[in-house]
Amino acid sequence: MLWGVTFLTFLVLNALPGDAASALLGINATPAEIRTFSIKLHLNDPLFVRYGHWLGDVVTGNLGTSLASPQSVASMLGQRLPVTLELVVYALIITFAVSIPLAVLCARRPRGVIDRLSMVLSMAGISVAPYVLALLLVIVFAVDMSVFPAIGYQSISQGLAGNLRDMTLPSIVIALPLTAFYTRFLRADLLEQMQSEDYIITARAKGLSLWRVLTQHALRNSFIGLLTIIGLNLATLIGSTVIVEQIFSLPGIGYELLQAISNRDVPVVEGIVLVFGAAVVLANLLTDLLYSVLDPRIRHVRSRT
Amino acid sequence: MSVPVPELLSAAPVPEAAVEVVHGPGGRATGWLRSAEIAIPGAILLVLLFGCFIWPVVYPVPKPTGGSLLTTNLPLWSHGHIFGTDIVGNDIMSRILYGGRVSFEVAAAVQVIGLVIGGVFGIVAGYRGGTLEAVMMRVLDVFIAFPSLVLVLAIADSLGPSETHVIWALSAFSIPAFARVARAATLRLRDQPFVVAARLSGTKSWRIQFLHIFPNMLPQLLTFSLLGASITIILEGALDFLGYGIPPPGASWGNMIAAGQSFISVAPRFVVVPSIFLFVTTLSMNLLGDGLRARWGVR
Repeated sequence: MLWGVTFLTFLVLNALPGDAASALLGINATPAEIRTFSIKLHLNDPLFVRYGHWLGDVVTGNLGTSLASPQSVASMLGQRLPVTLELVVYALIITFAVSIPLAVLCARRPRGVIDRLSMVLSMAGISVAPYVLALLLVIVFAVDMSVFPAIGYQSISQGLAGNLRDMTLPSIVIALPLTAFYTRFLRADLLEQMQSEDYIITARAKGLSLWRVLTQHALRNSFIGLLTIIGLNLATLIGSTVIVEQIFSLPGIGYELLQAISNRDVPVVEGIVLVFGAAVVLANLLTDLLYSVLDPRIRHVRSRT
Repeated sequence: MSVPVPELLSAAPVPEAAVEVVHGPGGRATGWLRSAEIAIPGAILLVLLFGCFIWPVVYPVPKPTGGSLLTTNLPLWSHGHIFGTDIVGNDIMSRILYGGRVSFEVAAAVQVIGLVIGGVFGIVAGYRGGTLEAVMMRVLDVFIAFPSLVLVLAIADSLGPSETHVIWALSAFSIPAFARVARAATLRLRDQPFVVAARLSGTKSWRIQFLHIFPNMLPQLLTFSLLGASITIILEGALDFLGYGIPPPGASWGNMIAAGQSFISVAPRFVVVPSIFLFVTTLSMNLLGDGLRARWGVR
């Protein structure tokens, strides 16, 4: 899996016209300079030889050094990763904090006021482009009200308050479409369960309140479907961090990726793609493991076979 | 009684609700409301399409580029320029119309490419099964786990910014998505009686795949492509934003928003006007897709 992803990246970056040497040396470079530079970086070796070298290095834990700067890819990732990670985690926290209670409220009274209102809002949330939302939030909160800064970044070590202030708008931008999507999904799933499942009827029949049935019986089952969707959405989530980091000038991985791609900085792009790919694979593994924690039926099937 | 009466009442009509589940989970409004669900977004989209493609042909709309520097930065509702002019004197309304063309063209092209290539891929994989399917699905898995934006950026960056290149780059998203949907639908249809009957009567397998199975999944693919079109329009704008989309003298909603970002504190309308059009378009597409999905009873 990871192998396929990295090989594809390598293939794509190499199949494309334009090369690192001329991109890095600029338009004033002489052909001779380009040639020596290419030889120094082994850019003239055949594709498979270069991929083999890179793969061999990665297996031994060496991600190589950037072509554009003397920094090693590993240390570069080490610098950039926390920013993106914080962004994603913050966004997911907002997403769950809003979408789970909202979905339960919707499912409690289908076609009630809350339900209709949140369905309309969530449709809007799904349809809005992240950059439109970002600029809208900037106009309202940064320009008109001056509550949050429009751009900039402070790391946690420089002060938690400043860090949170800088990360709030970007996180909301990422979180809103996700919230809309998860709310709709959870609501549909809860309603379907409430209408058709035996254990819900049992729970209702023994006199549990609707609220209790929803939160403790139905919701627990819905988490399984929710987990699957989060796993599937991860690649999209990563995509939106690239755009959001660009708009808010956050020094995260997406920001770095854009630069690396236009520089044809293959080791850096490979490193970033490897991290993204690993994140997706890890998330899927984690999803599988959590399945059996959440659903005893899956656990029992496994232990019998 | 720990259970309040209204709650019992709201949970009571189970049989009725269970019938509705056949049409679509969640329970939807019926009657005129349901047709409005399709008619209103459909009408909005038609008006937008008319405005973008036919209106500039039949009515003397100002040119979207080469505006006069004497009339820069006119406010909203100026004479002759309803949405005013931008920082180099171009009429914003006309840029919206011509930019909309780009959005619709890109969205349509990307969906058609996805439908044809991804559809064939998915049907063949699903129908044949076996090793071929396993290999094809592996390839697809790699594409899906792969953050497509990397691929799109790499393609867009090297080919240079232009509408055709944007279309090919964005197809990297739509092809795997269509392939997945088509395969799932094929698996569901493969053992249906009408397919078995066709197979037993000696119909060639490509005929079964494209004349029997394909028409049956068409409603599903069409609603899917409406949702896909709205995503494509958003992504096209994202490429503009990152500088890999439609190059600036040409108009597109995305690059209007991107260009307006620099003037956001002095003239928010540069951003707000195209944003509204973008939002209304994607919202209508999503609503129409959702409405048709409920109407046709596809998941």
